[in-house]
Amino acid sequence: MEKNIVLKAESITKYFYEPEKFQVLKGLSFEVRKSEFLALIGKSGSGKSTLLYVLSTMDTDYEGRLTINNRVVTGGTQNELAAFRNEHIGFVFQFHYLLPEFSALENVMLPAMKLKKRSKAEIEEKAYQHLSLLGLQDQALKRVNKLSGGQQQRVAIARALINDPTIIMGDEPTGNLDTRNTQIVFDIFKELSKERNQTIIAVTHDDDFASQCDRIIELSDGSII
Amino acid sequence: MLRSINNRISQVHLTSNVKQTIVAMLGVTFGISMYVFMTGFMTGVNNAQTDLAFSSLAHIRIYNDGPADNTNIAKKIYPNDIINLRNAKIIKYTEGIKNAASITSVLHNQPDITDITTQVNINVFFKNAGNKVNGVICGVDVFNENKVFNISHYMVQGNWNELKYRADGIFVGIALAKNLSLKVNDNLNVLTSDGVTRNYKVIGIFQTNVTGVDKTKAYITENAARQLLAVNQDYVTDIMINVKDYNKTQSTVDKVTKLTPYKVESWQMANQQLVAGSNLRDIIAVAVSLTILLVAGFGIYNIMNMTINQKIKEIAILKAMGFSGKDVTQIFLTEAIIIGLIGGVVGMGFGLFISKMVNRVPFNVSGLHTLPMAYLPKDYVLAFLFGLVTTFIAGYLPARKASKIDPVTIIRG
Repeated sequence: MEKNIVLKAESITKYFYEPEKFQVLKGLSFEVRKSEFLALIGKSGSGKSTLLYVLSTMDTDYEGRLTINNRVVTGGTQNELAAFRNEHIGFVFQFHYLLPEFSALENVMLPAMKLKKRSKAEIEEKAYQHLSLLGLQDQALKRVNKLSGGQQQRVAIARALINDPTIIMGDEPTGNLDTRNTQIVFDIFKELSKERNQTIIAVTHDDDFASQCDRIIELSDGSII
Repeated sequence: MLRSINNRISQVHLTSNVKQTIVAMLGVTFGISMYVFMTGFMTGVNNAQTDLAFSSLAHIRIYNDGPADNTNIAKKIYPNDIINLRNAKIIKYTEGIKNAASITSVLHNQPDITDITTQVNINVFFKNAGNKVNGVICGVDVFNENKVFNISHYMVQGNWNELKYRADGIFVGIALAKNLSLKVNDNLNVLTSDGVTRNYKVIGIFQTNVTGVDKTKAYITENAARQLLAVNQDYVTDIMINVKDYNKTQSTVDKVTKLTPYKVESWQMANQQLVAGSNLRDIIAVAVSLTILLVAGFGIYNIMNMTINQKIKEIAILKAMGFSGKDVTQIFLTEAIIIGLIGGVVGMGFGLFISKMVNRVPFNVSGLHTLPMAYLPKDYVLAFLFGLVTTFIAGYLPARKASKIDPVTIIRG
């Protein structure tokens, strides 16, 4: 694998068995380079989200081979994959999925506390930095359910960044946001890919959003077009 | 640090919905306090019953069991012949224990025997002029009798030790005294089956609360009883023994049986109804308390299940962020165990409180003043452990379910 390829998918095939057997992904092969900002688009049911969850290592029920950061993740155990995700992949979802009973700061710190490569003080420092970067330094100690939708999504992004993952994956990260917040999130992603060399793979419905990305992969009926 | 982040999540879950946490804890508290109370109460009842029983019952009794069954004595010698024997009579057999001193000296060397006393029991008629009541005179070794039966504790009038100095003195049961219209210092006439009569002076009245005893029994000194029977100094009818643990009489019985030709009988053999009653009470106590604990366990199970259903998205996101199934199990199991620990400690305290309250309820029947209660640390520890095991199981099942949640299905909806 070339040095600047961070993700390599080789003939990824996946079936749904409910309500009847149906091929969602039809032997997809592609590569993603380091610091690339990639948009996955396609109509509803085209398989773009399904593909993202396969790439995220959370969905292991597929055929083919997936390599991330020069490591073959296909066939790993759930616990191995969980540890791998913790270190190498950050997630931003359409809904923020923060832990509502924790402060914004604690939510951001969670993945790093799990990774435990740094001391708690260092993690806290870093979480503050990320929150400031996203303009949330004043909200750090508030409970997340007291924040607005846009703020919550930014907290979720800070959380995705805390372990400096190689790849950040977003499942319609702006799907629930207004235009202004969408632009804010997009700019953050853009900055991450350009200045920090982090790879971003985002599923989106938003054509404006997609058109500003480095590269677009469009899916239709489980195939790349 | 892995520990600390999982624990931090558990802590936040427990403290953010305090009401629910308290309800779960109350389940455990109630189960454990009921367990503590029930076992304490049952043990108390059993102890009261035992105290009552041992006021007239020794742990082990040695006595002469009477002659063997000789209804067809010739059959023993000619087993194959047909023999018709009518009106078989026992000409002579040895009554009582003739060599008491040699037996008691051997018994004194047994390490598990704590107290020994000898008795000369005689079936008699008590007479006060025309009024006749049959009963038993018990000739006692004043000092040792008190050690085995704690009889001085049951004296209503008179002083037990006075009997030592009064060869003509007699203690009578309270009901017997009433039936014969006797007071202290009155005379009591006694008639034996051999036709001997003698007068004694009533010097005290006792009440054991065992009606059968209070109605028929009287105490005189051992020597006075021997005099009444015209037997020698070494004659006794019963040797009464107390051992260290009244529940473990069998080994002593086995040992002593080898040392004497007489019948050796433990209180359990002689009073199987007492043993059965006490065992049944124990079983009921355990059954009731375990049922309560089980119900409490289901309560915790339900609450944990509910919590996990509420937090299913959080669990999914934790797993997406890299928390393993083991971490998720740990988080929820920790919550259950903390509920169990706190609920358990409070439960022991509350159980003690209920026990103390019930222990004050007046209950004036057969020598008791309040409802009996035992406070055994063993019961408290056991209740606590049971509570912990119950919460562990009740928490583990939902926690395991949580650990198996597939994040993709939850997040994609």
